[in-house]
Amino acid sequence: MTEAMTVLITGASGFLGAEVTARLTAAGHSVLALLHSNGGIVRNNGRPLKPKPGTLTPLTGDVTRPGLGLDAERLRMVAGADRIVHCAGITDFGRPEQVYQDVNVTGTENVVALARAHGTPLVHVSTAYVCGERDGAAREGELDVGQRFGNAYEQSKLYAETLVHKAAADGLPVTVVRPSIIAGDRRTGQVRDFKTLYPVVRLITKGRARTIPGNYDALLDLVPVDYVADLIAEAATRFEDARGLTLHAVAGRAVTLRDFSDVLAEYPSFQVARWIPPAVFSAQALPDGERLCHERVISLYASYMRRRIHFDNTNTVAFSRHPVPAGGRPYLRKLLDHSLKVGYLGASTPRGGAAAPAVTPPERSPQP
Amino acid sequence: MILTEDYLQDLLDKTLPQVRTGDWAVVLEGSIAEGFGNPGSDIDFLLIGRTKDDLPTMPSLFFVDGRRVEIRTRSVHQLAEQFAALKTGAKRVGRIPEDLLNRCQRLLHSYPLRGHALVEEAKGMLPVERFRDIAAAWWAHCARQSLRHALAMQCLGESEEAVDWARSGLVQVVKSWAAGQGETYLEPKWLSMQLDRADRPDISDRYWQLESAAAEVAADDYLAACLAFAADLGVTGVRRTPERLTVERQPGVTTWQAAERVHVIRGRRDVFALGERAGRVWRSLVLGSPLPQVLANARATGTREAGSLLAEFLRLGLVRLAWKGGGTVTPALPLASPPGPITPPPSTAQPLLSLRGAAVTAPDAVDLIPLPAERFGAATLELAFSNMVVENAREDLAGALQRGQWKVAEVAARRAVHSALRGLFCAYGVSPLPSDSDLVRRLSLLPEDTRPIRALADGLTRLTIDSAERAEAVLCELEDFVGVVRQAAGADAFPSSFDSADTWRATLELGYDWVRVAAHFDSQLPLQEIRDLVATSGAQPHQAR
Repeated sequence: MTEAMTVLITGASGFLGAEVTARLTAAGHSVLALLHSNGGIVRNNGRPLKPKPGTLTPLTGDVTRPGLGLDAERLRMVAGADRIVHCAGITDFGRPEQVYQDVNVTGTENVVALARAHGTPLVHVSTAYVCGERDGAAREGELDVGQRFGNAYEQSKLYAETLVHKAAADGLPVTVVRPSIIAGDRRTGQVRDFKTLYPVVRLITKGRARTIPGNYDALLDLVPVDYVADLIAEAATRFEDARGLTLHAVAGRAVTLRDFSDVLAEYPSFQVARWIPPAVFSAQALPDGERLCHERVISLYASYMRRRIHFDNTNTVAFSRHPVPAGGRPYLRKLLDHSLKVGYLGASTPRGGAAAPAVTPPERSPQP
Repeated sequence: MILTEDYLQDLLDKTLPQVRTGDWAVVLEGSIAEGFGNPGSDIDFLLIGRTKDDLPTMPSLFFVDGRRVEIRTRSVHQLAEQFAALKTGAKRVGRIPEDLLNRCQRLLHSYPLRGHALVEEAKGMLPVERFRDIAAAWWAHCARQSLRHALAMQCLGESEEAVDWARSGLVQVVKSWAAGQGETYLEPKWLSMQLDRADRPDISDRYWQLESAAAEVAADDYLAACLAFAADLGVTGVRRTPERLTVERQPGVTTWQAAERVHVIRGRRDVFALGERAGRVWRSLVLGSPLPQVLANARATGTREAGSLLAEFLRLGLVRLAWKGGGTVTPALPLASPPGPITPPPSTAQPLLSLRGAAVTAPDAVDLIPLPAERFGAATLELAFSNMVVENAREDLAGALQRGQWKVAEVAARRAVHSALRGLFCAYGVSPLPSDSDLVRRLSLLPEDTRPIRALADGLTRLTIDSAERAEAVLCELEDFVGVVRQAAGADAFPSSFDSADTWRATLELGYDWVRVAAHFDSQLPLQEIRDLVATSGAQPHQAR
């Protein structure tokens, strides 16, 4: 085991941050957990985190404020940290651009400033989708290649990562971890937060989104939260090996929309959407209820149904001792089985019953 | 034993010259060696050799002195492998093949006739007490499966089937108990004699009472009595708790819906079309749920026959049943018909296919489509494609006629006719299709009542257009022709797609539904080409709105 360290984790109660915190405290490291609110840390399995005594110090703060909104005493504590793991961020889609700017960009700027002030090695959690809207292979060494973005979230993460790389060029030791679409546990499919693609799957399987623009060969890279947390914790603890690297935290095999369609068809109660070539899709042609559903949810993810992107993970494979999760159809089944088991997914709405989509308003979430 | 050793030795002397030479040890195995049998019983000799070569598994049959004599051969090496496989299998008794168990049992309980030392060596490979335990556990496993299945059938209201499976479970329970007493002979044929020898009248009487009470007692009570008997005889894991039964995914089963029709594809091969009520019940099925919950959900669809339909889905292997903590429920009758899903006779509904899915015979029907899934996918997609091309060709024709482009109009008319015919063939399940030049002749493949179409098609494919008057006439003829085809194939096979933007959009959406199925099967058709065409055709109506 590496020598015990003090690690500042931002977004420590988030979907990913909680799992990173759990790993580092379990390994005997001392975690300064920056939390946006006073709530506790709940792990992916839904249980409260029970860290080893003395390994967890919660700090209420706000990444959008200079000094992360910490008072002088807490800032002194943070100054002594051996590592900063920056997990905080807004991952929901459809929020006002300013929110992404404040949390994802300014938040990163504030974290970088803190790291620069004390020369603290930084593990920055970005997203593989900084690649933007393009097909083919996205490499770990690439960042700004003039890409278009699928949404404001992706763009904000690129700006944030650019700040981190700039600091690295100025001598700050950094590692960037770029997860793809983070989903449930690799063995059980269990997931704490049904966010990102989960609401889309729910609308499809319930038959509320029947016609979706997409390409059968579009690739959705779903990566288990436990693997991403393993990799981030490993980058923090083996920082000398990880320094300067950008690591794609992705699955061994992405699922195509065809995989997605075929696997959904394995569940009698699920409706399977029909994919229509994006070039000819028109939301105006949808029935009223479905159009609303499309505008409020599906359209936010439409870009992911088009892209044929493959994430190269050469750096990660060379660096990490954790096996890359297989992904593909078996993993998708685990995610769906768990969602069924806990009642998030279930019976479909009979055709003809055009119920309005139950779309929950986006929430602020301290995850990447 | 009903036969003397002298008689058996004499029979062996007469039989062996007909068998390939070798230094054999010989045993009598089977019912007579067990002490059962009657004058009609076969004589089963097993010849054991020290040969290094594997000996054939297939038995040879001889008729000697009016008796049927069966000769099997095994090398010592093969017997050792046989016993080793049984010992390994004992870790998961449910996976032990009945033939392996039977072969080991017959040798262990055989009567030696020649080469006693080698026979003893072979029998010594597995202590008979160990075999008893394995056989008892194996029968207990079978009993558990049958009784769990009976419980499921009773839960679904299939009482007769529940009673029959409970009765099968009853035999397996008592066979398990008897095996533990040393009565390991597998075939249930001699069960009465096995129970007599076990000499426990209390158990034997209770068994025979239950065995004969099946027809007289209410199914619920009968099942309860069988479960109690099982528990008393040590067969665990069959408490009367149907909520432990869950409905689970069957690998290779997928659901595809077009319009209101639900199609369930089994093993990527068999297509079942579900009637309206059957479809509703199928759609209510949430995998991983306890059976009583599944039944409640199914009944909530308003379908009275919900239980019967769920039972049918299980019989067809469209879903599987599991017991919490006990794996898949696999009811089987050892030494009888093999377990597994059944397959009904194929549907005779005609025409078979429409854009809105396969025809069904009744609202509760689960009809097997007489087409393998891949061809089903190809035919329905081709049907959708044909619809679009017919409409497209009619538009081309109208445009060409307006501008007096007679030769262009002739080609468009022929294209419309061919596409309509292609759709007609698809509606009858013909896939792959004949080439366009052969379409009219191959109408002979279709039922008699489609014959008038041939004459019309013949005329239209040979037509010439050289004047505005002729053009008008051709347009009318083509409309008539499409109408006749529509009548033969069914309105759902050829909806009037161009009547409005809504009907056109509905046709396109059905086309995309079939693209989805075809994509699943990698159907033979040029998928990308069709998708592109569907996409192009889709652009105009979408823009028009």
